[in-house]
Amino acid sequence: MTEITGVDPKGNESVGRAVQRKEDYRFLIGRGHYVSDLRLPGTRHVAFLRSPLAHAKINSIDISSALEADFVEAIFTGESDPFKSVSLIARSALPSYIETAQPILAWDKVRFSGEPIAAVVATDRYLAEDGLELIEVEYERLPANVSAWSTPAEPLHKEALDNVLLERRFQSGDVKDALAGAEVVIERELISNRQGGNPLECRAGVALFEPGDGTLQFWSGTQVPHLVRNALAELMGMSEAKIRVVAPDVGGGFGTKAALYPEDVAICMIARLMPGTPIKWVEDRAEHLLSATHARDHRYLVTAGFSSDGTLLALKADVTCNVGAYSVYPWTAGIEPLMAGGLLSGPYRLENYDCMVRAVATNSSPSGPYRGVARPASVFAMEAIMDEAARRLGMSTIDIRRKNFIGPQDIPYKMPTRLVDDSGHYERCLDKALELFDLDQFLEEQQRRRGTNEPPIGFGVACYNELTGLGRAASAGPRMPFRTGHDACTVKVNPDGTVTVFSGVTSQGQGLETTVAQIVADGIGVDYDDVQVRIGNTDESLWGFGAFSSRQAVIGGGAAQLSALVVRDKVIRLASELLEIDINDLILRDGKIWVAGEVEPRLSLAEIARVAYLESNRLPDGMEPGLEATRFYDPIRGAFAAGVQIGSLEVDVSTGEIRILKWVCVEDAGRVINPAIVDGQIAGAIAQGIGGAMYEHLIYDGDGNLSTGTLMDYLIPTSGEIPEMIIGHLQFPADNPLGVRGVGEGGTLGPNAVIAGAVADALGILVDQLPVTEGAVWEGLQ
Amino acid sequence: MKPAPFDYVVAASPREAVQYLADVEDASAKIIAGGQSLMPLLALRLARPSLLVDINRIPGLETIERISETTIRIGTLVRHRMLCAQTNSPLLHEAARWIGHSAIRTRGTIGGSLAHADPAAELPIVAVAAGMVIEVMGPSTQRTVDAQDFFIGTLENSLADDEMIVSVISPLPERWGFAEYARRHGDFGLVTVAAAEVQGEVKIAVGGVGSKPVRMLESEGLVNDSVTLSGQLIDQAARAAAASVEPNGDFHGSARYRIGLVEELVRRSLRQLGSGQADSEVDWS
Ligand SMILES: Cc1cc2nc3c(=O)[nH]c(=O)nc-3n(C[C@H](O)[C@H](O)[C@H](O)COP(=O)(O)OP(=O)(O)OC[C@H]3O[C@@H](n4cnc5c(N)ncnc54)[C@H](O)[C@@H]3O)c2cc1C
Repeated sequence: MTEITGVDPKGNESVGRAVQRKEDYRFLIGRGHYVSDLRLPGTRHVAFLRSPLAHAKINSIDISSALEADFVEAIFTGESDPFKSVSLIARSALPSYIETAQPILAWDKVRFSGEPIAAVVATDRYLAEDGLELIEVEYERLPANVSAWSTPAEPLHKEALDNVLLERRFQSGDVKDALAGAEVVIERELISNRQGGNPLECRAGVALFEPGDGTLQFWSGTQVPHLVRNALAELMGMSEAKIRVVAPDVGGGFGTKAALYPEDVAICMIARLMPGTPIKWVEDRAEHLLSATHARDHRYLVTAGFSSDGTLLALKADVTCNVGAYSVYPWTAGIEPLMAGGLLSGPYRLENYDCMVRAVATNSSPSGPYRGVARPASVFAMEAIMDEAARRLGMSTIDIRRKNFIGPQDIPYKMPTRLVDDSGHYERCLDKALELFDLDQFLEEQQRRRGTNEPPIGFGVACYNELTGLGRAASAGPRMPFRTGHDACTVKVNPDGTVTVFSGVTSQGQGLETTVAQIVADGIGVDYDDVQVRIGNTDESLWGFGAFSSRQAVIGGGAAQLSALVVRDKVIRLASELLEIDINDLILRDGKIWVAGEVEPRLSLAEIARVAYLESNRLPDGMEPGLEATRFYDPIRGAFAAGVQIGSLEVDVSTGEIRILKWVCVEDAGRVINPAIVDGQIAGAIAQGIGGAMYEHLIYDGDGNLSTGTLMDYLIPTSGEIPEMIIGHLQFPADNPLGVRGVGEGGTLGPNAVIAGAVADALGILVDQLPVTEGAVWEGLQ
Repeated sequence: MKPAPFDYVVAASPREAVQYLADVEDASAKIIAGGQSLMPLLALRLARPSLLVDINRIPGLETIERISETTIRIGTLVRHRMLCAQTNSPLLHEAARWIGHSAIRTRGTIGGSLAHADPAAELPIVAVAAGMVIEVMGPSTQRTVDAQDFFIGTLENSLADDEMIVSVISPLPERWGFAEYARRHGDFGLVTVAAAEVQGEVKIAVGGVGSKPVRMLESEGLVNDSVTLSGQLIDQAARAAAASVEPNGDFHGSARYRIGLVEELVRRSLRQLGSGQADSEVDWS
């Protein structure tokens, strides 16, 4: 392991430990504070009328009887301003990209079942929903299309008659030649299942426009408050100085809450139309399944060539992503296809690559970022290819992967898509995973069961790399009008020596208050308990892009550390003046100043802070009062996190039931800041991945009605379905000040491939389509 | 997901409850017991009763009593959790464990489950297999209905608008078997099978393959006509069951798959009936 730079090893007492999370106590005693808990006097509640049809012209919206009802306070439709003149347009400079205008409230046409059409305001949600029933909409049905790989009868947007919103080709080397020289050529069609984030807390917002000073406050369960403020200012024609966005405690996000939605803008606009009245909307589960962003509805047509020794020679792919009715704001319809094509070859060396990706609009809820963004599907595709190549070549599925891994000697490795892999520790992850899994014992048992009546068992393996903590160069791909490479952090030592941090990160349960506090505590040299972290408030923190792309520990954490080190430096300089001792002889640890070699501290941080704030007469010439610093951090490139998962399962051939027997994950998350948080992220992500692999499936019928509109049909695994997990770590520091790699998403990347591979291994049937249900397994056996 | 407006009353006795039902003109009153099926329907506005009659505080309906050597009477408000806890009927104990999760079993009632008449629910299937008799009261009537005749179709029972279930009489089967396959722990089964022998006669009821629990008459005939329950006979009965059902397929499983499950689960339940051993390995505690 290389040495970690920038951290005082003597002060390194909090990072690396599973300290008690700052947020746990308030959650455990029921004092978490979510948007739903905000009860401002005079609050009015909004319910949205949603389209029952997937594709239709709206001939008329009649609100007259609703307006007559005494319990309805106001009704808004999209036909009038301010709603009509504003739409959500995600921008990108990519050549073939076609923008779509997503209305705040649809008024001339609806493009997916669940699209908001009108908003009713009442004193409570019950009455608001009663009001919805009084609105009459006359629709003229248009043919609906929910599949991205069937010919549309009627385009969604006149700008894209073939419904294709983006097409991009990744090309490198000579695929044709390489395939011609290949020993085996594998061709597969692989389809992954549409899913949604389904955080425990659905979307929620309270908007209040203050007539006294013309300010808008928006409490929102968002992952990206600064982006929301920026967008709201533009969309509503307001100055950013007059908008405050607050993300209080947020009960899960998974990417779903990284988009800005029409409903968010609608309630802010309503608040401005009803000055002084807090306007509240809390999404229910039915709305969430219907209209929050979906993801992972992809098809991969893959052709791959291998030499006789198992070397991957060429990869040709055609990837179609169903992006739903609109290009998701602000991330664009490119979010999934670009990730799918950009990293399809994963942790494997590859020269010859030709991949066409496309984003196709359909009459379904827009696709957006969802934990792992396309990677769970693309890893499934790539690993299916590796498994089959191994089978065809008579190799083991382990050996073929070893043969192709990008290794430490290849680093930095430029992928055929020009992304630069800085990890290369895939084989080490695999070795450790195999050791924890005990493959020999498994193979023995598998052998023993053959020829008995006992259920057959199989094992599957998934190797992946996850691009995390993307700096300005790594986040350039989508060519959006913003680069998400940096975050800011302000660190302030208070006059009593305690520390307050205003960080640009946000948290939806990942424990960022804790992580940032650990970093700052060590950066300055104070006790973890003396650091308070404030997040999710645009009036408090300078800037942060928010939670997505497994970026916050790397980027927000980097900013926190830089700021802490600047503050620490000033403390030491001031102490040096006050003590008249050279700065090089002073150490700041546990909130105290020590002279190297002495047993007792000379000064406390509190004494120094007091001077800094209250006794400017004791400050050296030219030193400003105060102990505070704000720094930005941008890692420029990204940090690849390596991961390997191995799982085994047994199949009850009479019912198709899959019982997971063992699950191992080894990740290289770089330096681990808090082991409990990191393991929690990995375990949660694997559970979510297993949900996607076996249970979760958003299904539309041919008319574009969502058939899985409640949690009775959209099956999320319970603790009963999730196996015990064995999690192992490698800690190869990344090239950033903290040495960390992102860890929030990687776990979701493995399960599709592991389950599909293990079922194939157990039963000898190929899995081309997700989810792997008992019914599909049973059918496969008939 | 908020209910449409409704009125609410608390009934003090069964008689008062059914009077409330009768007094509502458009017959749109509904009883609420555990609320575990009705509340979701209300929240989705799929049910829009004008009046909810709460029977939870009626005394005496939450007990199980032994009325003879071979029968028990179960009050309509007996919760699934209490069925799990009782020892009179091992079949009811086993079946109730499969219902939802503990929060649901703590509230949901046997009367509510029967009245709700979900064709995949465990208790209606057991009621048909065990030949339970449902005791019903109206404002001026009192009658009993065989479980077999109680279920009419999906979420449809044979109660009049002003009638309620007061209790259920359940024979205690000499031998029984129960087998279910659900996609997740606690889900309604894709297919559920209950087999019960009462006074020497075996009945087999299957859920998930029609609009109500379906009797496997041919399989029953095979089993009842033979002196011993051999493995061969069980296979034959299982195949006969599979051949007799015509389930609908959906995204949880094709029709063909459900037929396959019927065969396997009838086999399992009959094996269990034959051996007196629970098939389930799940630890439910
Ligand atoms: C998440 C979840 C999972 C579930 N899983 C399962 C499962 O796996 N298997 C299963 O069987 N059930 C399941 N249920 C349903 C549960 O078992 C219900 O408790 C049961 O179906 C209804 O009983 P209840 O007392 O809650 O009735 P309620 O919901 O109060 O009422 C249901 C219906 O019965 C009527 N009713 C109630 N009592 C009477 C009476 N005495 N006379 C006449 N009519 C009456 C009501 O008017 C209503 O129409 C689940 C429920 C939930 C929420």
